[in-house]
Amino acid sequence: MLQRLYIHNFRCLENFELQFKDMPSALLIGKNGAGKSTIGIALEVLQRIGRGINRVAHLVQTEDFARGRTDVPIRFEIEVLIDKKLYQYTLALELQNNFEALRILEEQLIVSGEPIYSRQGASVTLHEAKFMVDWHLVALPIIQRRSEADPLHLFKMWLAHIIILTPIPSLMTGESNGETLEPKRDCANFGDWFSGLLVRYPAAYMQVDKYLREVMPDIRDFQNELIGKNFKTMRVQFQENQADMRIDFRNLSDGEKCFFLCAVVLAANKSYGPLFCFWDEPDSFLSLSEVGHFVTSLRRSFETGGQILATSHNSEAIRKFSNENTLVLYRKNHLEPTLVRLLSDMSFQGDLVDTLIRGDIEL
Amino acid sequence: MSVNKYNKHILVLPEDDANRQIANGFLLDPALNDRAIQILPPPGGWTKVLNAFRDNHISEMHKYKNRMMLLLVDFDHDEKRLGNIKNKIPDDLKERVFVLGAQSEPENIKKNIANLNTFEDIGKALAQDCVNETENIWGHELLKHNRNELKRMISSVKPFLFN
Repeated sequence: MLQRLYIHNFRCLENFELQFKDMPSALLIGKNGAGKSTIGIALEVLQRIGRGINRVAHLVQTEDFARGRTDVPIRFEIEVLIDKKLYQYTLALELQNNFEALRILEEQLIVSGEPIYSRQGASVTLHEAKFMVDWHLVALPIIQRRSEADPLHLFKMWLAHIIILTPIPSLMTGESNGETLEPKRDCANFGDWFSGLLVRYPAAYMQVDKYLREVMPDIRDFQNELIGKNFKTMRVQFQENQADMRIDFRNLSDGEKCFFLCAVVLAANKSYGPLFCFWDEPDSFLSLSEVGHFVTSLRRSFETGGQILATSHNSEAIRKFSNENTLVLYRKNHLEPTLVRLLSDMSFQGDLVDTLIRGDIEL
Repeated sequence: MSVNKYNKHILVLPEDDANRQIANGFLLDPALNDRAIQILPPPGGWTKVLNAFRDNHISEMHKYKNRMMLLLVDFDHDEKRLGNIKNKIPDDLKERVFVLGAQSEPENIKKNIANLNTFEDIGKALAQDCVNETENIWGHELLKHNRNELKRMISSVKPFLFN
């Protein structure tokens, strides 16, 4: 479970800290440009490290420095509770004068207060051993794990399994030519994720099926058919009054594709979780009557394990969270950094949604 | 699918933001059938709840016979309030409309019951009482006045609201 996220000098996030202790679900609200999605982008940097991307230039660019301030390092710190042990990972990146590419300034993983490895520049200390790693490579993905139970491995897997979603339904075709447990942010590889989930955790089918029947009572079945060598496509069958209709997944509506996505998120969390999920505007593409149920389903599912962080501008989605799990992000203008405060620590009069409509919330 | 208005379901009309958050916590109970309950936006005061009920819901309840409603209000120590509210409910709907709430206001429940630090915590605990048929929270001094109304509601909604 994510306990704390600290980001410095990355885009609009300066000396920015989020505390998520004991929060199975939380909501980020704030005006456009306040920094909600940027938190997702920062989390994606860490996720990609977990997924094995280690070249700094593939993770962060020089334009990611806050207001072009390249003389100050970009810093990511994340604290995660895995099997009751606190994992603290720090990554600081710098741009040397007259250089074009960022490089590692500092990197460290501490588990339950004990350093697993630490690094200054190119020099890495792992237990008793010291060795050098290219300045431009993150060490975490390349240090060999010793066993499945190696804390280094457990942490990498936790990062790799972070789900970050800003789905683009038109890219969700339901086609797959492989299997993965690592969905892309835009969900363009949704078919691969669906296939990977069902192949590795066949019981997940029941969970996906259960959720889909609740939201689409006329669904009869869905198949992931092999139609070519290593190529599958999803098809969905509906039935009403003994009449059948079978359609390709790609032809479902945007909202219906999001139902499938939600079903897979819930099943993934049960199958290989607990997972951390960041979903940017989960209410997008949904009808007003559906938003509340959709958000509550996600919240309820993550109550028993894992964590979900959502963003929203939708009044119905916002009302499905409460003051102690709603974080308000605020940025006075483009030259100033993002500020954050828990709604329960703020005072405002009357209805929150009305206050947001008036634009009266300021930090 | 949203709430199926042709199957038994309940709409919750919370008076204010505090009651809305209590209802949010109630909905997080794992045994709850989320598709049979919908929380509506809070009108902002018990009189506005009554107005909203009169203007928006009476005709709809006549139309949808499987619809029930819970009006979640603060009683503000007013012993006549329940009667006053009930008087505004048409006789043919009285069986399907329930009125519950804090004796004073939800903030006092939070202050007076240990380990319930948030409104959602209160809602979760109230749902657990309903599932387990206990009165750990419902039996508290600030909520026990709801006993008769709660008993009536549970007998109507429990078969479809909890799995």
